Parts: sequence; structure tokens; C-alpha cells
Amino acid sequence: MTEPVVALRDVSLGYDSTAVLEHVSLAIQRGEFVALTGPNGAGKTTLLRGMLRLIPVLAGRIEYGFDHIANPPGYVPQRESLDPIFPITVFEVVLMGTYAKLPPLWHVSRRARRVAAESLERVGLAAAARRPYWELSGGQKQRVLIARALAAEPAVMFLDEPTAGIDSAAEVAITELLARLNREQRMTIVLVSHHVGRIGSFLDSLIEVDDGAATKRAVAAQNGRDAPVGSTA
Amino acid sequence: MSTLVEILRSDFLLRDALLGSVLVGFVCPLVGVYFLLRRMIFLGVALPQVSAAGIAAAFLLYSLFVGPHSTLAGGERLLAIAGSATFTVTATVLLALWERRGRERVEARIGATYAIAAAATMLLLAKDPHGDAEIVGLLKGDILATTSASLTVMLVTFGAAALVLFAFRKELLLVSFDRDLAVVFGKRAGLWDLVLYVVIAAVISLGVMSAGPMATFGFLVVPPLTVRLITRRMLTFSVGSALLGAVTAFAGFYCAYRYDVPLAPAEIAVASAALAVVATTVAVRRAVWRAA
Repeated sequence: MTEPVVALRDVSLGYDSTAVLEHVSLAIQRGEFVALTGPNGAGKTTLLRGMLRLIPVLAGRIEYGFDHIANPPGYVPQRESLDPIFPITVFEVVLMGTYAKLPPLWHVSRRARRVAAESLERVGLAAAARRPYWELSGGQKQRVLIARALAAEPAVMFLDEPTAGIDSAAEVAITELLARLNREQRMTIVLVSHHVGRIGSFLDSLIEVDDGAATKRAVAAQNGRDAPVGSTA
Repeated sequence: MSTLVEILRSDFLLRDALLGSVLVGFVCPLVGVYFLLRRMIFLGVALPQVSAAGIAAAFLLYSLFVGPHSTLAGGERLLAIAGSATFTVTATVLLALWERRGRERVEARIGATYAIAAAATMLLLAKDPHGDAEIVGLLKGDILATTSASLTVMLVTFGAAALVLFAFRKELLLVSFDRDLAVVFGKRAGLWDLVLYVVIAAVISLGVMSAGPMATFGFLVVPPLTVRLITRRMLTFSVGSALLGAVTAFAGFYCAYRYDVPLAPAEIAVASAALAVVATTVAVRRAVWRAA
């Protein structure tokens, strides 16, 4: 069995010492495509933020199969969390992904610029590089944020509601992009989704979050996919 | 035209004051850009007031424990800088900590800081047995009193601040634009916040000492607001704001000297005129574009 990318051992997560989720134990395997689902306010984003170390673990422990400094994960936040007051181009947003491995005082190298340009190309928005980020549609912004995550050259990517509030064509484009990254590069993908929708047919596992608990179950077989090693709940 | 030639001459009587004005005009917007982007413009009002309270406190403490500061013979400025910097750095660090931990809105904390600092300044001045017009002058800031020594202090401090902002622009942009991503990348977001706040505190405390709260706050806010209307990139936003600040400071100085009016209001009037012109042009252009 391979080492999990993330393993939660009897973890409690929440805010201001108040637990939203308690006694969560599950593991996400390398190369797995996982969706965190559940009703509004159930704690899906809390679980994702806990895995990303954005909120403290109240009890238990989380183990990681990667080094956060040497090989940080890709992260795609909810696009509304970014402030439109920043005058920033699409390329500047994507370039931020390359800062992951850039120590202070180091100049952004030609390689980093090339990686950012290639990441933008992979999401089909190379032509928009010089456009202001805020002028893009919701679906385009989401793809730019995915390009920014790719620019970090991650082995695992976490996405918070990547298909929320966008039209169905954009949803298809994003779903297919994530499926391709998972299939062709064996990239581990963990995303929060209020409803599974189109992504459902590409998933290996679902983590259902409700009533302060999170339960993982495999769906790879019913999707006709080979389950990654150790991905059963 | 003759006035312009006169103030550009190397032996111009107020040359140090002119250079000091342009320096304040150049560096304050570099800091102000972050005020605008982090939506904490009111900090630009509160911190100069905290700086003033620090100056008053330093003089009162000197009076109580050492002796009359009127005998300091030129050391008043150093004493004032020490008090101003201590108070401003402490206040910015505390505000940064509360920003992450407090429950109430950031505006409420900044408003309370302003009120407390304003009251403290007046009370400390009232209790200073040697409080006199010179201290009040320091609290207001008097750029015309700039000497070559104080200009050197400004050059070193403002130069260091600009250097830090330029050298760490990647990190400061990342924690300002998407703090969560910075944390996910394993960056020490709290440390970068602290670096930014210390630079802000240093620029504001020296800006208030040199040019007064009005000019400092004006240059912190007005040039970035103006350039924000026309720029699409972060780099041009920062550099454009600094250049506009320097140019409006020079133009304000020219107007003040030419028409014999107070310097700080003249500088802010010129900067505001630039804002009005740019805002009007942008609005007209948008209206034409929509109509077409």
C-alpha cells in the first residue's frame, strides 16, 4: 500500500475552539480523485481548510505524504474570496503560483515565467494573459485560478467549489480539465462540491460531510475506474 | 517660469525642504498602495495621530525624568523620532495582531485607536510643564525646517523602506492578495504582515515628523487612488503612484512658494486636482464607450 497524501487520525476541526467536525479518520491516496460533498454548512470547506492547515486541528492529527515547503500543494480558493480592488492581470495572478518554491529576494526566473505561461495554456487561456483578471467571466476566472495552482507544479490539488456559480459550458470545461490532470498526470485531486453533478463520473471516492462527521466511500468501481491503491474507505 | 527656475537652482534657499517634500511624496504612496489594497485607508488617519501621541509622550517623559527639553539643543528631533517610532510601531503591531484575532470590525479598532491617540496627545501635552510652541510645531510637522541632517535621515529611512517594499514585493503581494495561498505555500504570512507594518510605521512616523499629518495622509491615499483608476498591473500601480506623488509634491511646493500659501494644503490640492482630472477622464471615456 502506498503512503497516503493526507491522512486524518481522529481529527476534530472547527473555529474558536468550537468543533464543526469531530473524530474524522480517513486517508486520501496518491492519484485519487475525491469530492467532499454534503449540505450547506455541513463543514466541507472546514474539512478542506483543515487539510490545508488553514485552520488549527482541535484534536487528533493530520499526516501528510508531501513536504509543504519543497513540494506544496496547489490550492484553488472560492473565487469570491479574492478582492477585486487589486489591479492585476491574468498573467500576474498565475505567476503567483510560482512563488510557492521561490525564496525571498529571489527574482522570478525565465523558467517560472515559462511555467506560468504553460499553465495558462493548459487551461486554454493563453490569449488572455495580459487582460485584467477582473474583466473575465466566472468560469474563466476559475480556470485562471486552476492555472495558478498548476504553476506551483503540485502533485496534489485542493479546490473549493470550483464549479459553483458558473454556466454549464464552463462547468464541463473545468470538469474535463480536472479529469485530464488526474488521468494523465496522476495528480491527486480533492475538491469541495455542493452537488457532485458532472464530476461524479470521474471520481474515485466521495467524502460525505454531514452532522459533524465525514465518511469516505469508494465510487471508482461504479464509474468503471480502477481504484487507486488503498482508496477504499 | 522664473519661480520654477529659481526653485530648481542648486543654491535655492529651501532646497532641502523641496527635496524632503518630494521624498515624502514619493515614498508615502508606495506604502499607501497597501493601505488601499488591504482596505485599511483609515489606518492612514489613525497612525499619524498615534505618531503625534508618541512625540508628546517622549517629551513629557523627558521632562519628568531628565529635565526641561528646551535645553536639548537640537536633540528634540531625535527625541521626537524615538517617541513617534516607538508608538507607531507598537500600535501597528497590535493592530496587526488584532486583525487576525479580534471579533469586531477592523474599522472599529482603527477608529478607537484614532480617538485614543488624539485624546492622549492633548492630555500628554497639557501635562508637559515645558510643552510649548516648538513641540506643537513638531506635531504638525514643518517641512520648511528641513535641514541637511534631517534630509539625510529621511533619505536613509525612506530609501530603506522603498528598498524593503521592492525587494519583498512578491511576498507582500501574495499575503495581501491571497493570504490563504501564502499559508498553503508554507510562507510565514504573519512575518510578512509584520514587515509591512513596520515599514508603514517607519514611513508614517518620519512623514508626520517631516511634513505633518495632513501631507502624510494625503500622499498615502490620493496618488494610489488616482493611479488605481488607470492601471491594470501591480507594478505600474506602485511605481505610478510613487511617481505621481513625487510630481504632485513638487508641483504643490511650486504653488506654495509662487503664491505664498501653506505647503501641505497646496500639495494636497494639487494631488486632488490630479485625481479629479483622471476620475473625470475615466468616467467620460466609459460613458462614450457605453454609448458607442
